[in-house]
Amino acid sequence: MFTYAIRRILIAIPMILIMALFTFLLMQKTTGNFYDLLRMDPHISAEYIHKYEQLYKLDQPLLVQYFEWVKNLFHLEFGYSFYYNIPVVNVIGGRLWNTFILSFSSLIVTWGLAIPFGIWAALRRNKAVDRVIQFCSYLALSTPSFFLAMLLLYFASRTGLFPLGGMHSAHYEELSWFGRRWDLLKHLAIPVIALSVASVGSLQRIMRGNMLEILHQQYVTTARAKGLPESKVIYRHALRNAINPLITLLGYEFSALLSGAALVEIIVSWPGLGTLMLTAVRSKDIYLVMASFMMGGILFIIGNLFADILLARFDPRIRYE
Amino acid sequence: MPILAGAVFLFSFLFPASAQGRQGRYGGSVVFSTISDPKSFNEVTAQETSTTEILQYVFEGLTRLNPYTLQVEPNLAKRWDVSADGLTWTFHLRDDVRWNDGQPFTADDIVFTFNDLIYNPDIPSSARDIFTIGGKEFKVTKIDNYTVRFVLPVRFAPFLRGMTQAILPQHKLKEAVKDGRFNFTWGIDTPPKEIVGTGPFRISEYHPGERIVLKRNPYYWKMLDGDRLPYLDQIIYLIVQNQDTSILKFLEGELDYVGVRGSDYPLLKPLEDQKHFKIYEVGPDFGSQFVCLNQNDRVNPDTGKPFVAPFKLRWFRDVRFRRAIARAVDKKRIIEILKNGLGYSQNGPMSPSAGFFYNPNVVKYDYDLDASRKLLSEMGLIDRDGDGYLEDADGHRVEFNFYTNSNSPERIQIAGIIRNDLEKLGMKVNFLGMEFNTLVSKLNVSYDWEMILLGLTGGVEPHFGNNVWQSSGQLHMWNPGQKTPSTEWEKRVDEIFVEGVQILNENRRKKLYDEWQLIVSQQLPFIYTVLGANIFAVRDKFGNLDPTPLGGAFHNIEEIYIKE
Repeated sequence: MFTYAIRRILIAIPMILIMALFTFLLMQKTTGNFYDLLRMDPHISAEYIHKYEQLYKLDQPLLVQYFEWVKNLFHLEFGYSFYYNIPVVNVIGGRLWNTFILSFSSLIVTWGLAIPFGIWAALRRNKAVDRVIQFCSYLALSTPSFFLAMLLLYFASRTGLFPLGGMHSAHYEELSWFGRRWDLLKHLAIPVIALSVASVGSLQRIMRGNMLEILHQQYVTTARAKGLPESKVIYRHALRNAINPLITLLGYEFSALLSGAALVEIIVSWPGLGTLMLTAVRSKDIYLVMASFMMGGILFIIGNLFADILLARFDPRIRYE
Repeated sequence: MPILAGAVFLFSFLFPASAQGRQGRYGGSVVFSTISDPKSFNEVTAQETSTTEILQYVFEGLTRLNPYTLQVEPNLAKRWDVSADGLTWTFHLRDDVRWNDGQPFTADDIVFTFNDLIYNPDIPSSARDIFTIGGKEFKVTKIDNYTVRFVLPVRFAPFLRGMTQAILPQHKLKEAVKDGRFNFTWGIDTPPKEIVGTGPFRISEYHPGERIVLKRNPYYWKMLDGDRLPYLDQIIYLIVQNQDTSILKFLEGELDYVGVRGSDYPLLKPLEDQKHFKIYEVGPDFGSQFVCLNQNDRVNPDTGKPFVAPFKLRWFRDVRFRRAIARAVDKKRIIEILKNGLGYSQNGPMSPSAGFFYNPNVVKYDYDLDASRKLLSEMGLIDRDGDGYLEDADGHRVEFNFYTNSNSPERIQIAGIIRNDLEKLGMKVNFLGMEFNTLVSKLNVSYDWEMILLGLTGGVEPHFGNNVWQSSGQLHMWNPGQKTPSTEWEKRVDEIFVEGVQILNENRRKKLYDEWQLIVSQQLPFIYTVLGANIFAVRDKFGNLDPTPLGGAFHNIEEIYIKE
């Protein structure tokens, strides 16, 4: 098990570096560079821009720039942001945490709602409750999260029930401890709903399908025939087996923690990575883009590993050598 | 989002002693919004408005522009003398100024700002370009603690306007300069209390993506009727990436101020009383939006081919062609459709808001397609084969590309209106919106374009546009970096900019720059379109509020207070 994990991690390293090379080349090969914006400023001379290009080695051949970057990686340096003139790690810092809060909240809401709904729908198969849940799921699945976020913002602007985007109020510092928590929850409501709705729809359907499949298994019939109470049959025997396949999904969800919310973040002005990365890509702030890309890649690999290990833990049929 | 020109100069120092300043009350805060995060707190290396917008409250210069008269007046320097030849300037500093950490402000800080920061070859700074004339720097020396002398290599008319340059504290930064770390100092990861300036406010908190809080500088030097300014306790900037969200937040009462676009006006105006705010319209924006035709007559050294096809170049370099296009720009309609009628047609390179140097007597081109057709047929451009498009004598159809940057929806719409009218004239216009970076590399590197719609930001001082107007300039877009001017009128403009910068008499200078504006309107290297109106809405709670076109609503922020 342990050697398996180590092997997976070792394989991941060249994979990430190769992916990084592709991102790097894509960023570099499109026309123009970061300093084009400054080139159009009547106050800024060509020498000034040249100075910066030298500072960040933009005048060197591409591969030299790439290997310079890789070399620094081993010293745990991720390069400087052109825009901010500080290490990219410091630019990303606090925003990483904000994105995490948002994604994690929506993860909890999604799973907390989808699993019970899925079970409920499976147990009431083809009854009115099931029909309503399935109808709502289709509706939710076909609503893009960014669009829903806009609708919710509109709703908020008409009713004044929720703040119009952002993460804290302007006067957050003056609030009490309780007031601050409440303030954060109010700001979380819209993005979390927007992010969760579609996922609840799809996850619920998977849960329902799994549950139905298990309920038709012979051992469930056996358990019922033995005269076990229905609650035991469902929660002890059926549910545990039905939830297994979802654990793999949890691993994928983990990898999307930092990137999945970008669009919604931009719409509700959540101070996360979304906007930062959008501007970074558009203005060609290469090392900032690379750093976020690395984070995404690493999380993806960790998430998958995490899912595999969990699966082995919960499913006795799976063993890694 | 074109160019950030003038940012430093426009925003740096707009704190006047307003004529009707009344005694106010202390306390309270004002909430603004800004469209993006500051990128740095380093005043020397910073370029973009998101940074200068915040730093305008923190740093000050020796002089400042009076936002009412647009004239230079004393600020950190209480007065100055100039030698008869106009080369030696001696500034006498105020002796009651302190940095916001309590340290005294002296002549050393000025010498440091110029000699160790701006003129430091290892520090990229756009200020150096302004303060270097013909490759020569100013000599900056300390006479005593409160006297500084500047010796200029040649006479430099915008000198005093340039002295609005922010002064930075030697005691905070000299170590960083010595270690070569200055370029990476005072980034957004610096603890805010380290950012030390002399301005009325200091940065107190910064939460990326959310807000910036500025607190009152208790050491600020300016007094009003015995009160030490500023009156307000804090300024809060919310970072709101979307203009529509800002408007909603303003209506909800979260913001105290919001910029108003023409399209927002009908929504906001009826709510003035109900929501307790007032809308101000202070005149045209600074800056410009224009159509430009590529007149580059050189050959691409890499391919041996001309940058512009010779038959097209012949049209583009013919002033009648440019005038025909100018006649086809329906400014009234653009203002009506895009600005809800709240805009101004622009005819020359300076905005009317620039005041003194603005020349209203330039050639104006009214929308008149018949006049355009007449000019084109004079050139021999007529529909020869009856296909609805114009052809020249050799049978070349009048067809060209038209680019603009796609991240500005308004500009795309303006381009659409212009294209529509040019098609009516019988020109085939292939329009393409593209990423700003791509557009710039076409303009500056590959010269692979024919017609563009673009904008430049402007200011009060014409000389600061010399990179655009001198034929050797890199931003001389229609034909950049020329060794010798390719036309008579470009030669004359070159002379004007060389001469204008050396004349110290403002009225004689104005005459020269008036001539330049006239030439531009006759020759039309840029075909100007429209200027937006500078409109904003302010909550009804501030005293001493007195908006101006240059400074906006809060130019005198230190005097503004919250009414009971």
